[in-house]
Amino acid sequence: MDQKDIKFRCHGVQVYYGDTHAIKDVDVDIEDKTVTAFIGPSGCGKSTFLRCLNRMNDTIASCRVEGDIRLDDEDIYHRDVDPVQLRAKVGMVFQKPNPFPKSIYDNVAYGPKIHGLAKNKAGLDEIVEKSLRRAALWDEVKDRLDTPGTGLSGGQQQRLCIARAVATEPEVLLMDEPCSALDPIATAQVEELIDELKQRFSVVIVTHSMQQAARVSQKTAFFHLGNLVEYDDTNSIFTNPQDPRTESYITGRIG
Amino acid sequence: MTSQHIVSSFDRDLESLQAMIMKMGGQVEMATANSIKALEARDLELGEQIRRDDKIIDQMDEDIKAETARVLALRSPTAGDLRTVLSVMTISSHLERCGDYAKNIAKRTTVLVDLPQINGTVSALRRMSRMVERMLADALDAYIQRDEHKAEDVRLRDLEVDQMYNTLFRSLLTHMMEDPRNITACMHLHFIAKNIERMGDHATSISEQTIYLVTGELPDEDRPKGDSTSFDTSNEDDD
Repeated sequence: MDQKDIKFRCHGVQVYYGDTHAIKDVDVDIEDKTVTAFIGPSGCGKSTFLRCLNRMNDTIASCRVEGDIRLDDEDIYHRDVDPVQLRAKVGMVFQKPNPFPKSIYDNVAYGPKIHGLAKNKAGLDEIVEKSLRRAALWDEVKDRLDTPGTGLSGGQQQRLCIARAVATEPEVLLMDEPCSALDPIATAQVEELIDELKQRFSVVIVTHSMQQAARVSQKTAFFHLGNLVEYDDTNSIFTNPQDPRTESYITGRIG
Repeated sequence: MTSQHIVSSFDRDLESLQAMIMKMGGQVEMATANSIKALEARDLELGEQIRRDDKIIDQMDEDIKAETARVLALRSPTAGDLRTVLSVMTISSHLERCGDYAKNIAKRTTVLVDLPQINGTVSALRRMSRMVERMLADALDAYIQRDEHKAEDVRLRDLEVDQMYNTLFRSLLTHMMEDPRNITACMHLHFIAKNIERMGDHATSISEQTIYLVTGELPDEDRPKGDSTSFDTSNEDDD
């Protein structure tokens, strides 16, 4: 096995929502060029932890994050770090599709435009097409790029959000239940996309579908009641988990 | 795993698979015991029945394979559940082979009834077979009780079977050298001994499945082995 570089180093991470201790002393290293899946029952803290990785929790007033989270050895919670720049590097796709109230084209072009990734209109067109193709949406929307993104079906909207997220060529892509609104074909297309994305960067996916975690990820982390119970190769987690709580959860017994 | 699935029909599927294995195990144990009984008593009718009943064992193997395929397809088992399904599939194959060996012993018995008896051989085969029957029964008990220590014990007992086989092998060689008219009978008896020895290996493999089921890992190949006959020549002095 070749040794992968570590993209995120997280040490002693604690998250509080007011008095609620949502993440309890989590240590995890997320590898580069790897798909890492976070699994666990609802309310276990996996989404909260995912949102720490690009400081999405900053927007929640009662939320307090402690501990050390380093992206490429830089503390992302340092006061000199601009969250906007961080989020360009660490993109995110949410559970509910949230396209901008703009045209399909502008939804995808928005990020590259504000970050100055395209030299001219042709360059931008190219990024838009490439991103939409990667998200397996191009063929369905190529004739109506100027229609509103919000007019697409739920599954199409989600793929539009993925296209938007990959358009800025992030280093890490966080995905929070990206396929819960998709049919099996679109899900397979997104999974194929995830597999392709991992050639170049690291993907962290939160999913309730155990089979999806097993299919797409190389590493799996199991969260339970705010604790990181087990973090190992996906193969080990699904064939021979070491912690009985992991076993109970993935085999469908109440944990 | 003792706790139950949220979907209780999944528990019923897994229980039913294991019940099928135990039933098949019982059938194979009976065939093994009867095959030696038929040999000893020169009971052709019993031999014929073993050969007929092997079809039941083969059918059980097929049913188990079909059921495991169904559970794999519909339930997508993971972790301990996955190992349960995989071990059922493997054990079924081992049991099916044991059934074939019993059938083969019965077949050779039909030839042996017309041949001269070879002194002491049948009782040695009986001792060896008793030992293997116990190994098989204990291996299945260990499996159903999820007892990896008991399984390990069965695994180690295979050494004794191998040694009994070696002794018998040498004694059959001696008989053949003494009188070439014994050769046909001795060859059949030797194959019977080899069949029993192989059943011991299958009981060992079943025990290894129990260890895999409980611990998640197959044991290393560091078990002591006693079958040295493949290094022997007909000349004992070469040892």
